Amino acid sequence: MAEALPLKNEKMHVATEADLITGNQTFHTITENISSITEGKTPKLWFLLWGMAVSLLLVLFGSVGFLVWNGTGVWGLNNPVGWGWAIVNFVWWVGIGHAGTLISAILFLLRQRWRTSINRFAEAMTLFAVICALLFPGIHIGRMWVIYYFFPVPNQMGVWPNFRSPLLWDFFAVGTYFTVSLLFWYTGLIPDLATLRDRAKTRLRKLTFGALALGWRGGNRQWQHYEIAYLVLAGLSTPLVLSVHSVVSSDFATSIVPGWHTTIFPPYFVAGAIYSGFAMVLTLGLIARKVYHLEHIITLNHLDKMAKIMLVTGSMVGYSYAMEFFIAWYSGNQYEAFAFINRAFGPYAWAYWIMIFCNVIVPQFFWFKKIRRSVGLLFFASILVNIGMWFERFVITVTSLSRDYLPSAWDYYSPTIWDIATFVGSFGLFFTLFLLFLRFLPMIAMAEVKGVLPQADPHYTAGGTHE
Amino acid sequence: MTEPKKLTLSSNRPYWRSMNDLSQTKEFRTFVENEFPEGTVDLDGLSRRSFLSLMGASLALAGLAGCRRPVEKILPYVAAPEDILPGIPLTYASALPLGLDTAGILIENHEGRPTKIEGNDLHPGSRGKASAWTQAEILGLYDPDRSQRPARFGQETRWEEFLAYWKQVSSDAKAKQGEGLAILSGSFTSPTLRRLQAEFKTTFPKARWYTHEAVSDHNILAGLRRATRKPVQPVYHFEKADVILSLDSDFLLTERDAVRNAAGFAQRRRVENEQDDMNRLYVVESSMSVTGGMADHRLRLPSSLVGAFAAALVYRLQFLGLELPVVEAVMDYGHLKLNSDWVNEIATDLMFSQKRSIVIAGRHQPPEVHALVAGINEALYNIGETIEYYSTEDIQPDRPADIHDLQEHLFSGAVDTLICLDVNPVYTNSGTPSFLSALRKANHSIHLGMYRDETGAACEWHAPLAHPLESWGDLRYSDGSISIIQPQIQPLFGAKNAIEYVSTLIDPANVSAYSEVQKTFRSIIGKNNFESRWKKALHDGIVDRSKSVPIRATIKHPRLIAAVRGNPFPFPAQIKDRYELVIRPSASTYDGRFSNNGWLQELPDPVTKLTWDNAVLLSRSLAEELDVENQDVLRITVKGESIECPVWIMPGQADRTLTLELGFGRTHAGRIGNGVGVNVYPLFSQNGALISRKIRVEKTGEIRILACTQDHHGLDTEKLAADAIQKRLPAIYREATLEEYRANPDFVEEAVEHPPLKSLWDEPDYSQGPQWGMTIDLNVCTGCNACTIACQSENNIPIVGKSQVLKGREMHWLRLDRYYKGDFDNPEMVMEPVGCQQCENAPCEQVCPVGATTHTPDGLNAMAYNRCVGTRYCSNNCPYKVRRFNFFNYTKDTPEIVKMAMNPDVTVRFRGVMEKCTYCVQRINRGKITSKNEHRDLMDGDIISACQQTCPTDAIVFGDIRDPNSAVSRVKKQNRNYALLGEFNTKPRTTYLARLHNPNPRLKTES
Repeated sequence: MAEALPLKNEKMHVATEADLITGNQTFHTITENISSITEGKTPKLWFLLWGMAVSLLLVLFGSVGFLVWNGTGVWGLNNPVGWGWAIVNFVWWVGIGHAGTLISAILFLLRQRWRTSINRFAEAMTLFAVICALLFPGIHIGRMWVIYYFFPVPNQMGVWPNFRSPLLWDFFAVGTYFTVSLLFWYTGLIPDLATLRDRAKTRLRKLTFGALALGWRGGNRQWQHYEIAYLVLAGLSTPLVLSVHSVVSSDFATSIVPGWHTTIFPPYFVAGAIYSGFAMVLTLGLIARKVYHLEHIITLNHLDKMAKIMLVTGSMVGYSYAMEFFIAWYSGNQYEAFAFINRAFGPYAWAYWIMIFCNVIVPQFFWFKKIRRSVGLLFFASILVNIGMWFERFVITVTSLSRDYLPSAWDYYSPTIWDIATFVGSFGLFFTLFLLFLRFLPMIAMAEVKGVLPQADPHYTAGGTHE
Repeated sequence: MTEPKKLTLSSNRPYWRSMNDLSQTKEFRTFVENEFPEGTVDLDGLSRRSFLSLMGASLALAGLAGCRRPVEKILPYVAAPEDILPGIPLTYASALPLGLDTAGILIENHEGRPTKIEGNDLHPGSRGKASAWTQAEILGLYDPDRSQRPARFGQETRWEEFLAYWKQVSSDAKAKQGEGLAILSGSFTSPTLRRLQAEFKTTFPKARWYTHEAVSDHNILAGLRRATRKPVQPVYHFEKADVILSLDSDFLLTERDAVRNAAGFAQRRRVENEQDDMNRLYVVESSMSVTGGMADHRLRLPSSLVGAFAAALVYRLQFLGLELPVVEAVMDYGHLKLNSDWVNEIATDLMFSQKRSIVIAGRHQPPEVHALVAGINEALYNIGETIEYYSTEDIQPDRPADIHDLQEHLFSGAVDTLICLDVNPVYTNSGTPSFLSALRKANHSIHLGMYRDETGAACEWHAPLAHPLESWGDLRYSDGSISIIQPQIQPLFGAKNAIEYVSTLIDPANVSAYSEVQKTFRSIIGKNNFESRWKKALHDGIVDRSKSVPIRATIKHPRLIAAVRGNPFPFPAQIKDRYELVIRPSASTYDGRFSNNGWLQELPDPVTKLTWDNAVLLSRSLAEELDVENQDVLRITVKGESIECPVWIMPGQADRTLTLELGFGRTHAGRIGNGVGVNVYPLFSQNGALISRKIRVEKTGEIRILACTQDHHGLDTEKLAADAIQKRLPAIYREATLEEYRANPDFVEEAVEHPPLKSLWDEPDYSQGPQWGMTIDLNVCTGCNACTIACQSENNIPIVGKSQVLKGREMHWLRLDRYYKGDFDNPEMVMEPVGCQQCENAPCEQVCPVGATTHTPDGLNAMAYNRCVGTRYCSNNCPYKVRRFNFFNYTKDTPEIVKMAMNPDVTVRFRGVMEKCTYCVQRINRGKITSKNEHRDLMDGDIISACQQTCPTDAIVFGDIRDPNSAVSRVKKQNRNYALLGEFNTKPRTTYLARLHNPNPRLKTES
């Protein structure tokens, strides 16, 4: 499959709308390049990677099984620190998901056509990240077998969930987010699934993609309805990008815990989520780009744009850190002030400074165009940001709880092997799903990419502009 | 169901009273033998291996469960015993011994199953209150590790064999007039045992009876004897004392009669308004104690210098005009100017408080100090006012020399048959020469004890002893009052008690302790109206009019002078740069007798907050000198004996004093107590409790991890945290001096500034029905831990084990926060009990997604365990951090028999749910039901929470805050009332009364 692709762009243009896709692609080459990945023989590398991912997934199953068998005590939680890695992981994974929705929905509405190259796998990443995220609140509760108490269903107990609790908001927010993201992703997939169906050579593929394509024929009326549905879903998803992490942040912000009880949390969390999400899109995109030789579809211009978004959101996050500190001092509340001084200089100072370095210092390098367009440095920076954003959630969750109001209750939290195994295992879940996606579904939205090819807009010549 | 008359056993109710004769059936015996196999409680979670095996096993069980029909037989109450209404507990009076101490108790008994111990208000020593030790005895009763059958050379035998042997011992001894026979017992106050002891001496004229007690009041009694020439024991009336000087005496917790002392002390310290006055407490001690925490002035002084301090005080008092002829003997100390401002001001204060003061010295101070203190008290006219002396002739105190005599006699062969009666000398005398080596010389040795402990394992024979809660007996309180011990249950393991063993030794025809006790009483109370007086004594828990008359014991000055002549106390110059070792009983395991009691092992030490361990307490300066930190192991050597003990750095510790605790490092205590902590008896048994010579201390380089429930990982020593704590203490623990309080009665209002408090939600209507509330008076709370154990017993709170405590998962619903205020080396120590505050505007309720914690109409913050899914969000959002999460199924491994100690009115919580203080909601409901059945309104005092019930100082008041006349409403009206973290608008129903200090304005506390 890879042989069919042009390996290098001979010359680099300044980014313009017209050369979003380079390498003189035609509709056919796009179809051929993307579809063949799902149709050809499975590469050995894929098996290797998938084997590793499934091994990690088994680690997840093992550690969740151990947890279910023994109880929450297998984790390092204690009496002041009731939330630890599980919640940190939850917030982190949800945050990761945000970039996908932002790319697919908001950039769609803003007519940012460069998104077409990355939206499909970014959306897939969103879905899988949200699946990983949903896992954690599910297993972190003490009695997972009665999790249905969260559901607002009439029941013989006559008890209703407590709608004042942010955890319940969370439940709905993340649930809605997952549902809408899934629908959005699936809707976007339909024309491409039909393409795969049409190209299918085996009966199994025919049946599978035939069913999944929902009878797509590519007629005008279908396209018209499709575009409207896609637009509506994009419209629905857009507020979710902002609302989900705002709601997640209210788990913290509505509480009384010093260091959590802050009105800045919703925008700060959303910025952080987009920041970490783009970092993850970069991490994954750079790998996929390299492995599947997609440099002509995910170009340096795309990378440059993503780096700019990270610079903006990273700076917003940095500003939030500073503002939190300022408000803690300005409030005159000794508990609040201590919570922040304790973050920076207390027993968890190491985590705090990792966070500051990764989230505040690292993105500042994106002021330089050379760095924004350097694949190696971008990859390295994206990993650092992923780490930094995990530590941000760790710092918020753990340091605040470990030392709140009454000093007699203070305690230090450290994870056990099972906390770590569960987190590492969640990568297994993510990558297993992600690799299955890469193998069996078109990772680039073919129909949409075709839409940004010059051929799709015959009124304009290559190299021209809208104006 | 073939033999209807022998039907007995349902697995959860095997020990009903009506099963008296059934205990002889074969089924019963196999039941007892098989139900509690040896093994340790694995509270640490599962290893991989046991995880896999359990998984397999439970899968197999799951398959079997479907086809398993109940095979246990049940026993109906065909003829219901009188007075028993199923579900309604009965309460019986009894008493429990602790050395020479007596705790008068009431026992809650559910259908013949005792479940909870409380103090008996009619008992002069208890006044309705009970210490942590006393209350934890209920768990001791159901200890599955108690000895269950006699054993010979470590092999279990049948009772018949032992009884035959016992008869043999008796007849052999009679033949030889008791030649070579010896009994070693603890100290005791039982009139029946005293009578039998006399009979033993007449029956076996050549036999010997030794007494031995590790934690001994011998110094106190010997000191008084030297001063007065009479065998007397003191009883204190702290309620009458305005000025108290404690010379190294922890009279509020670990000394004899602590419950009574604490109650009296609090009575004189309680303040209702700014017009009231209160007592003043001076404490001179080497290591911080609960009593030191209550002090208005605390002087840290090496224990070895306490004698010199007392002597200097005598000198000063005499200078101020008090008649103290003994001064001539202690003149040298007077010239020392040892802490002269302290001595001068205390002396002046005492001079102005004649007849209204108490000077008291600790049990580990030498007899000379006690003699001197007796002289001071008499000169201050305190005797007969605040202190009474009662005769010790009717009790048997221990004699420290006995154990050494016995050892010699064993080595020489003079003792051929030794009976160890309820003592564990192999453990408490593990120094050189060890008791074990002496014991091996005896031809026959018999151990009678509740456990097959270190001594039981070393003796030829062992036979189980019954628990005081399952036997007849009697106890004499220090003022002479007698209580009858009545059994609450048939002996669980068919054991006999000390009275039965001794009486059958004297005459094998004697069988019943009941008749022996009655016989004693016939001689004490006479035959007139015996039955009715006996019944009344059983009912009341105290024998009417049995209190003795205090003895007029005056100080014989020549004797006293002789006793203290020759400068018996070290001078500061002599002990300068020398280490000093003070060994005291543990506040949890005492001398080791409570080692196998999980409640006590997990009970944080009131001062150090250590659980499941003992440590050597050091000052910070000494730790720096030795280059050690917390948990570093030190080797301490005294005269060739050495122990290795981890370090715990103590604020307020005298610079060169090392403090150790007895009661740990057991090898044969049972599954709970084995291997917990360090045995310090090797240093103690030869050298006593106060050692100031030949101490070598060195660092081993090892580390032993200690489980502390506060200041985890030395958080307090980290400067950032330490400063923050000092900064927030004025808000969370409010206090003032009496003078400041009078000048500004509303000082508590000024501790915290906050904006107007507005609620985000519509507040529920609390204007109907009773509204529960609580107050805790910090001015009288000593931090004695009695409430924590009361709560644990009442509410079925599990123990979690050291590893879980290390993780910060202890389950106590009511914890005692201990803070050090001010200078680390010489701080003030304060205690603050914190349970669920039952906030009206509860942060926990708002965040629970499933509504598992909500408010009841009577203002309780209720937990619906069934509804709880375990998000722990409530705990995160609780500013008091009083919620406790079941991280594991902590009751999974609870032995069947321990379940009998559970309160049937309280749910045992499952894994994964949150729990917390309920204000004893089961007691509230019982009170409501009772009042409804009696067609009346609830009255103040109908409902008493467990912690309130037992608080020796009555610091806790509970009741209806809507009733303006209830005790709790009246307390809440006091101007010292404040809400902890009330500035966050939580509106807690529990409020605190600020602490007051009554410092001597002329004495500046610094040292």
